[in-house]
Amino acid sequence: MRLPDSVTGSFLVVLGAAAAYGGYILPPVPGQPVGPNVFPLVIGTGLALCGLAIVFGIGHSFEEEEELIPLEDGQTAAIPPPQGKLYGLRALLPPGLLLFYVVAADRLGFIITAALMVYVTSTALGAKWKLALPLAALSPFAIHLIFGKLLRVPLPAGLLPTPW
Amino acid sequence: MLKTLIEAFALISTWEVIIAMVAASVYGLVIGSLPGLSATMATALLVPVTFYLSPIAAIATIVAASSMAIFSGDIPGALLRIPGTPASAAYADEAYAMTRKGQAELALGAGVWFSAVGGIAGVLSLMILAPPLAEIALSFSTFEYFWLALLGLMCATLVARSSPVKAIAGMFLGLLVSCVGIENPGGVPRFTFGLTDLFGGIEPIPALVGVFAVAQVMRAMLTPEPPPLPRRKFGSIMAGQWKLTKKYHWQMTRGNIVGIIIGVLPGAGADMAAWVSYAMSKRFSKEPEKFGTGHVEGLVEAGASNNASIASGWVPSLLFGIPGDTIAAIAIGVLYMKGLNPGPTLFTEKASSMYAIYLMFIIANILMIPLGIAMIRIAAYILLAPRSAIMPIIMLCCAVGSFAIGNNMFGVVTVAAFGVIGYVMEANGYPVAAMVLGIVMGTMVEQAFVTSLIKSDGSILPFFERPVAAILAAMAIGALLWPVMVWVWRKLKPAQTAAATGR
Repeated sequence: MRLPDSVTGSFLVVLGAAAAYGGYILPPVPGQPVGPNVFPLVIGTGLALCGLAIVFGIGHSFEEEEELIPLEDGQTAAIPPPQGKLYGLRALLPPGLLLFYVVAADRLGFIITAALMVYVTSTALGAKWKLALPLAALSPFAIHLIFGKLLRVPLPAGLLPTPW
Repeated sequence: MLKTLIEAFALISTWEVIIAMVAASVYGLVIGSLPGLSATMATALLVPVTFYLSPIAAIATIVAASSMAIFSGDIPGALLRIPGTPASAAYADEAYAMTRKGQAELALGAGVWFSAVGGIAGVLSLMILAPPLAEIALSFSTFEYFWLALLGLMCATLVARSSPVKAIAGMFLGLLVSCVGIENPGGVPRFTFGLTDLFGGIEPIPALVGVFAVAQVMRAMLTPEPPPLPRRKFGSIMAGQWKLTKKYHWQMTRGNIVGIIIGVLPGAGADMAAWVSYAMSKRFSKEPEKFGTGHVEGLVEAGASNNASIASGWVPSLLFGIPGDTIAAIAIGVLYMKGLNPGPTLFTEKASSMYAIYLMFIIANILMIPLGIAMIRIAAYILLAPRSAIMPIIMLCCAVGSFAIGNNMFGVVTVAAFGVIGYVMEANGYPVAAMVLGIVMGTMVEQAFVTSLIKSDGSILPFFERPVAAILAAMAIGALLWPVMVWVWRKLKPAQTAAATGR
């Protein structure tokens, strides 16, 4: 997901300009010199200026590259992950599953939705079914016990209500 | 004073507070020791639980969990060379070198002991610094508050380990997020795009959980799992610590002082304190050649420093609502939620609550010693837990916790969105801490800014007329222009050199 500075900088210029415009068109408060429009105008302008600075590479020389600590003897090196073209998209799995929770929790219920989320995340992180399956079966009940029963968060029952 | 102290004791000596504190300590120790899960993430995930606790118990959980997590980050650092939290990264190499020399007990013992000492030094600074500063702060008007808040935001950008321009952009992004909703000077819907869910604005807590927890799970999806811990049996953990304290008492004191100063600066947290102290320790050491080979001196100084910064980070938070670090940013959210609105009046009107916070910090740091020793002994078992078992549970906690904040699904959407924002920002060198500060402080900055403008009838001059305001303004503007000046200086310098050599 590493993008060139020119891309992120340009995005900030557009966002800043949009924010400043959005602030500009807000209605003023009658009889008052400043209203809800001033702050977005200032921030939008600032953001756009920062975006321009980033596009032109100002401040780039301050950035520190992340140091990678090499492994030493006694530690087994993890197998480097396969790097396909779509490999980077795996990072979108967690937010995707959270959105799945929003859509499915009311219909399927907390236990089933949570079990699916846990199983998918665990498998994606390299767990074998021997770990992923019991984890998916037990952890939703444990979380429900803590949040639903003890802290009284109203978690949807859906198709599979909990025994408590 | 004595009466307030007795009241404070009464506040914390309830079963609820005691149980909350012990449970949060154990939780903080476990989360901190797991590589990849930071102390900030531990605190953020704890917030939904604090809804159901009394104000003092809620603060107790934050205090205990954050202090413990900062220490326990040292455990995988020493045993695996993988720092549990960023605050332990500065000396993970050194601690691991000691483990390889067969001094794992000494390294880990120094971690517990000097963290506890540092933590207590931090509380003392909070107790000594905060009341007189509160008295000064009582004379502040909105002009001073505006500049102070701006200076706080600027400090956060100056200390970021990335481009200051990107840090300032991150801060503006956070301020922009805080603009959303109808809580503004006109009471009109602003940037809500017609969505009723956005009328209440974007809550800081789901945003924090998103950028710190979900983004971390996202990163885990693409990075290889750390290697497993080799089994080993530990001897006495605390043996030799007193000798170290006597030998390195000056280093310990210097670490405490540096930690306190860095903690008080808004935005610079425990990780910055550890890096600076470790570097200072090496710079002023009598045996700098021993650093990197498994020498305990740097560990003493940096370990004392990072925990000292935790408590002192609460000084600007409690006084002005300006968070000292990301953990304090979360704590401010909890303070507001529990009716303990940060500000100088907190020290006069709710003095017993303040003393209760001091006492909790002291107790947490004393509790750290026995619990820390126990944690080191069982670390081998906890570190065996694979990441593929921990991350799914973290994700589930994110979903349920963010739902619990407002009992609506919009919180979960916010968490997911901020997970992506945090991940993209981090990957491209934009510090998320700067954005977080912007989100937390946005409303306060706007209120101070707009109220000041209304008072001055739209004129900018009164912003610089009061002496304190003028000094703060000069500092804030200097901080804002500093990256540009350095850039211009660097551009001019080669030109001058070229001209000089050409002649």
